[in-house]
Amino acid sequence: MQSVKITAIADYAATTAAGWKQVPAETVEMMPAPVEMQPNGFIQANWRDRPYGQLASLEAQSVHDGTTIAVRLRWASEKPETGGREGFPDGAAIAFPVTGDPVLWSMGNEDEPVQFIQWQAMKNKIRSVVAWGIGSSVPGTPVSESVTAGWSQGHWTIVMLRTLAGGPEAATLQPGTNTRIGYAVWNGSNEERAGVKAVSADWSPLNIDA
Amino acid sequence: MSNRQVAMVIDLNKCIGCQTCTVACKTSWTSGEGQEGMWWNQVNTAPGHGTPKDWEKMGGGFKGGEPQKGVRPAQGDFGEGFELNYKEALFSGAGNEALKPIGEEPQWGTNWDEDVGAGDYPNSYFFYIPRICNHCTKPACMEACPRGAISKREEDGIVVIDENHCRGLRFCQSACPYKEIYYNHVTGHAQKCVFCLPRIEQGVATACSRQCPGRVRFLGFLEDEDGPIHKLVNVHKVALGLHPEYETEPNVFYIPPLSPEKFDDDGNPTGEDRIPLAYLESLFGPEVGPALERIKQGRADKQAGRPSDLMDTLISKNFLDLFGPFTNHPREIERIATELEREPVIVPPSIEIAYRGPGGSSQ
Repeated sequence: MQSVKITAIADYAATTAAGWKQVPAETVEMMPAPVEMQPNGFIQANWRDRPYGQLASLEAQSVHDGTTIAVRLRWASEKPETGGREGFPDGAAIAFPVTGDPVLWSMGNEDEPVQFIQWQAMKNKIRSVVAWGIGSSVPGTPVSESVTAGWSQGHWTIVMLRTLAGGPEAATLQPGTNTRIGYAVWNGSNEERAGVKAVSADWSPLNIDA
Repeated sequence: MSNRQVAMVIDLNKCIGCQTCTVACKTSWTSGEGQEGMWWNQVNTAPGHGTPKDWEKMGGGFKGGEPQKGVRPAQGDFGEGFELNYKEALFSGAGNEALKPIGEEPQWGTNWDEDVGAGDYPNSYFFYIPRICNHCTKPACMEACPRGAISKREEDGIVVIDENHCRGLRFCQSACPYKEIYYNHVTGHAQKCVFCLPRIEQGVATACSRQCPGRVRFLGFLEDEDGPIHKLVNVHKVALGLHPEYETEPNVFYIPPLSPEKFDDDGNPTGEDRIPLAYLESLFGPEVGPALERIKQGRADKQAGRPSDLMDTLISKNFLDLFGPFTNHPREIERIATELEREPVIVPPSIEIAYRGPGGSSQ
């Protein structure tokens, strides 16, 4: 995916901002995070025969203004699920390698953390988390992250913003360089949470305009 | 692995279903927001649907060592919390105002099917079964948590949930075959019985044990050969875990209930136990028959004037003998302020300070 250089990021903060029509969209194939990759036998036993992560694809776009990057995601969702009192909310996340060459599916490893920007439908905010492997995620270095989200006509559209500058637990995104990005989507009405989700098959290239 | 295991034996022959343990637990631990329908200790009628409703059909635990699929109980399965109209019914002066729930009519609650039991008159039967988290030797909840938020304490085997790591994912609720884990929708955490660990750490018995008017609950370390737990579980072999087939090795044990005799059509006693052995075996496994025989033998010994260490232990004439090493008085407990603890309320005539926060009752 190309992160297109624009002049004012504020013009792209809304999910319906006109500028997004000019930004090329990439279709990302999604698949269920394999049941064998789930971290324990109980989660595997409960989900082995139960469909999850059925989202086939999502559309991704990106722009940046030299300081802040915006990633817009759009995917099909039968109904918006906020989780209510006892359920689980719809959600989405983008991932970046912080250092080295971490495996996306295993959420990084001891020496090669992965940063996630995670959105949940019941909260009107996103958070930056860092993980050194499955189940290890903790709040990471803040990157002035913010989000707008909307559901309409069977689709969620969200725009996540973060600074290009990172930190010890957040990927630094440098204009004029290529990095990678990963995606995850949770269908809350199917009780999807944690590793029970749809994921991109692997990292996708993210080329950030100079 | 724990170095030693704190455990409880509950004598079902003595439990009268008064719910004093339930209230002792409620006031100690679950009076906070989001805990309205939470009962870390429940006393249900058996046979019955239990708490949560039909929990024995909800799966979880292990079979042949393999984790089993399980249902995550909803709050409605436990029952919602509700308030009663005490003010109107008891203090308004309106003589015909009945005591009833405020707001929406509750549809289910803990011990909802109280005293229903099973069987046909005159051979109907029931008994009470108090339950808490079993602090299992092989906790399914701990294995199921992808966050590593659940641990078993080395020093006493108490299973605890670290709310700093719990994200409310609730895989533990599906995995626990006893369905003893609740979800606090206000804090977003899984919560359950902590075996009154701040009391245990100071040599004080759990609130549910100490408050029991029937002297139903024994406490101690399984490994303590002089304690009541070891005697009842390992020496006399009369205390059994609930549903051993779940393979989590629970550390709450039960003295199974003896039965009155059945009556025949003419009203004459038949010598048969009224509670079907098959039902008790479905709860406590195949060892329950021999355990009942040993209890009957102990009774017979006492009736005949012969000594019975088993009966002496079960009767426990000395109140504090119930509690193994946990005989300190609750008033001696050193209070540790927590962020959850509320401001102390001075109770006239300044005899003691009562707290409404966790661990703050004077039970």
